Amino acid sequence: MRIDWLIGGPQGSGVDTISLVFARSIAKAGYFVYGNREYYSNIKGRHSYSSLAISDKQIHSINENIDILATFDAETLFQHFHEVKKVAIYDQNLLDTRLNILYGVEKEIADDIKSRLNNNDPKISDVIQYLKDKNITLIPVDIGSITRSVANDLKVSSLIADRTKNTIVLAISMRLLGLDLSFLEMAIKDVFKDKNTVDINKKAIDKANELDIKNIFNLKQIEKDDRILLDGTTASALGKINAGLGFQSYYPITPASDESTYIEAHQIVKTDNGTRNIVVLQTEDELAAINSAVGAALTGVRSATATSGPGFSLMSEGISWAGMNEVPVVITYYMRGAPATGLPTRSGQGDLEFALHVGHGEFPRIVIASGDHKEVYLDAIWAFNIAEKYQTPVIHIVEKALANSFTTLNKSLFDRANIERGILASNFDNYKRFKFTDNGISPRAFLGQARIFYTGDEHNEFGHIDEESVNRTKMYEKRMKKLLLADQEIKEEDRLNVYGDGDIAVITWGSPKGVLLDIMPSLEEKGVNITLIQIKMFNPFPKQLVKNLLRDKKLIIDVESNYDAQAEKVMKREIGIGADAYILKWSGRQIMSDELLDAFDRVLKGNKKVVLTGGR
Amino acid sequence: MIEDLEFNDWCPGCGNFGILRAEEEALGELGLDYKNAIIVSGIGCSGKTPHFINVDISGVHTLHGRSIAFATGIKLANPSLKVILNVGDGDTLGIGLGHFVSAGRRNLSFVIMMHDNGVYGLTKGQASPTLPKGEKTKSLPKPNINAPINPISIAIAAGYSFVARAYAYDTQSTKEIIKEAILHKGSAFIDVLQPCPTYNDINTIDWYKERIYKLDIDPNVNNPSQRLEKIKQAIDIAYQEDKIGIGIVYKDLTIEPFEDRLLSNIPGYIQYYPAKTEISNNNRSISDLTSLIDELKV
Repeated sequence: MRIDWLIGGPQGSGVDTISLVFARSIAKAGYFVYGNREYYSNIKGRHSYSSLAISDKQIHSINENIDILATFDAETLFQHFHEVKKVAIYDQNLLDTRLNILYGVEKEIADDIKSRLNNNDPKISDVIQYLKDKNITLIPVDIGSITRSVANDLKVSSLIADRTKNTIVLAISMRLLGLDLSFLEMAIKDVFKDKNTVDINKKAIDKANELDIKNIFNLKQIEKDDRILLDGTTASALGKINAGLGFQSYYPITPASDESTYIEAHQIVKTDNGTRNIVVLQTEDELAAINSAVGAALTGVRSATATSGPGFSLMSEGISWAGMNEVPVVITYYMRGAPATGLPTRSGQGDLEFALHVGHGEFPRIVIASGDHKEVYLDAIWAFNIAEKYQTPVIHIVEKALANSFTTLNKSLFDRANIERGILASNFDNYKRFKFTDNGISPRAFLGQARIFYTGDEHNEFGHIDEESVNRTKMYEKRMKKLLLADQEIKEEDRLNVYGDGDIAVITWGSPKGVLLDIMPSLEEKGVNITLIQIKMFNPFPKQLVKNLLRDKKLIIDVESNYDAQAEKVMKREIGIGADAYILKWSGRQIMSDELLDAFDRVLKGNKKVVLTGGR
Repeated sequence: MIEDLEFNDWCPGCGNFGILRAEEEALGELGLDYKNAIIVSGIGCSGKTPHFINVDISGVHTLHGRSIAFATGIKLANPSLKVILNVGDGDTLGIGLGHFVSAGRRNLSFVIMMHDNGVYGLTKGQASPTLPKGEKTKSLPKPNINAPINPISIAIAAGYSFVARAYAYDTQSTKEIIKEAILHKGSAFIDVLQPCPTYNDINTIDWYKERIYKLDIDPNVNNPSQRLEKIKQAIDIAYQEDKIGIGIVYKDLTIEPFEDRLLSNIPGYIQYYPAKTEISNNNRSISDLTSLIDELKV
């Protein structure tokens, strides 16, 4: 089973928080959820919305077409009415509101709405008529009178009571689903904590409970294991903390900063020996972020930074220094819509090739990309182990689509991490930081342990500047050899995920993996069996395994959130095999299950390239 | 001599030799070595200092303009290390100015020794941010049309709690200033004036000889009420014409260093800083996420 729900409202009206409250309520009732936030680069006023998929099985994607549209403002109704399949909740006092007075609606969207309604000056009443014609169940609510009675009953200002309007919409949603309102009350308590706020919202729930609302979806509470609800930035932060992170630097940037602020809020970590402390530094820019992280790593601390495209661009020289000096540092790359400022609050996979080539010169850059929240957490740990074993920067890609989306995961996942620190020096006399060895790895000592030299110049084994050509040739090869070693040692099975076994291969990476997983049963029903290959490590690339998996496939389809099919290009470069057809999306919105299913139909009918555009 | 010392390739007569001598003596007299101190440098002639220094100390030769960022990471991860930066004027006031100003805001304990010769030596003598307007040093095709940044003034404005001016060839007083800067709690900045015999044919040894004198002032701010007066005194010295006072210009003892500010967020920071604490036991994480996971439980 699957139910898709969407709530919207002006940025700053609590849509974000309230969607999290709703997700928690549903999760408490035993269901799996997957939610996604879409918002403008704006603090107050612009239209933001949150989608939530509900299922009795683990779920990884949202749909463009939704079962329940939950609204309390006019703009959400105008923006999303065409996506509703079953039920729409709306404020009955807004019937006369005209689209043409909503100045925040972008012109292209307004034009689209007008053409859908076939009306140049549509009102909410026209939207309602449209929905009636489509046999959508309508739930008109007098939100104002409810909030007024909340204000009266509790003797609070109407401004404060007005903030409960999204809670009212949630309570109605719960009743449509057939779930007990006590789950909502518990979730409100978890999220708001402050007693006054909890009481006011509780009152709003009670009022909503008095309304005549039918149980349409008939959900029952189901047994569940111990679960948590978290978003991608928190998953990454938890992975880093478990991995022993000691230093994290960042410069404020969407959507990366949430990870750093979470770590700072939890910087005193309980350990078996007491506590340990993580320094979180907000720097003056991303140049300082990467270079302070590299500096901290030289002291033996597990060190990282987190950023998005513009910041990553600024970090490239520092990453090159880290490569030259064999510094284990982790850069969490929250990928968003680019180039330039691009779509600062939207998602994208357009920087894969950039991540693979960041920084001048040749040096081992290990690049991994997570496909869901569980992977974000586990890969954050993996990144440190690889960085320290191969003494080189590791770039961990997490798209905005994963950063700001949230899901339920089993608690047991968060047991103690396996920690591999690589080869450490034990003899500090006449220490050579860059000692030549067969496999290129020199035992690592930390600043303070030995007399150590580092330089961005080519250097000798001590780390002193050395431009002599034989040394240059040898030292260069020593650095590059580590990538060969990583390629030999890291199992190819760990560098990708394979799902299903069919005669059609689908190549993907990052967040589209989850969407593909969600549509695989539907594809199977249509007799389409796919082998889903999700690449997780792009350098070193799992060449042999991908080659084997692609053998004898009748069709290879590439699915990515970019224009250039970058992962497929990398694959072609690495193993000489490319895709036969492409499903691509670069609108900044994540790929959705229903549009992807439709795209498969078109590809199987012979389309070589399908471009997706779903979502507001 | 230490076997692995790099061949020193500075030009004969370079002011860096004087700075190096003063620094070696200061480190020696304070008993600093690789176990308790580190030299961080940027790019340019000064950047090579850690490779040339004849003290049993480690060195990190970083990127152009970024040494303060590296030093910040090193110091915060391991506050038991004394961190000394050898940086150039272009390094600090040109490409790295953002870091220089931000470091003043933090007041993290380290010493920034800025080798100030008015030119970009290693790229053959272009004008640096401290070269006065109208001057045409040897390799400039035209006179410099940019006004100079006043290093002392900008350091004071940025919030450095220790600001000094030294002269490369007065190794004795430079050494004393370095020692005092290293012992200072907070960010220390030393503008070390340095002749570049190869490219700066204006600010020569003789030019400095006519102008240098030792300051005889009390630079200390012992309580905040003295701050404005001492800043005024420092600014007067910063903008002196025809003479150049050498010594500590400003020393504010009332501004808490960044390490101490961190203590308000992390009370155990000084005892249990990141570089000192274990993260694993037999390859297993010792970090317990239980309370964090409980916060997220549904």
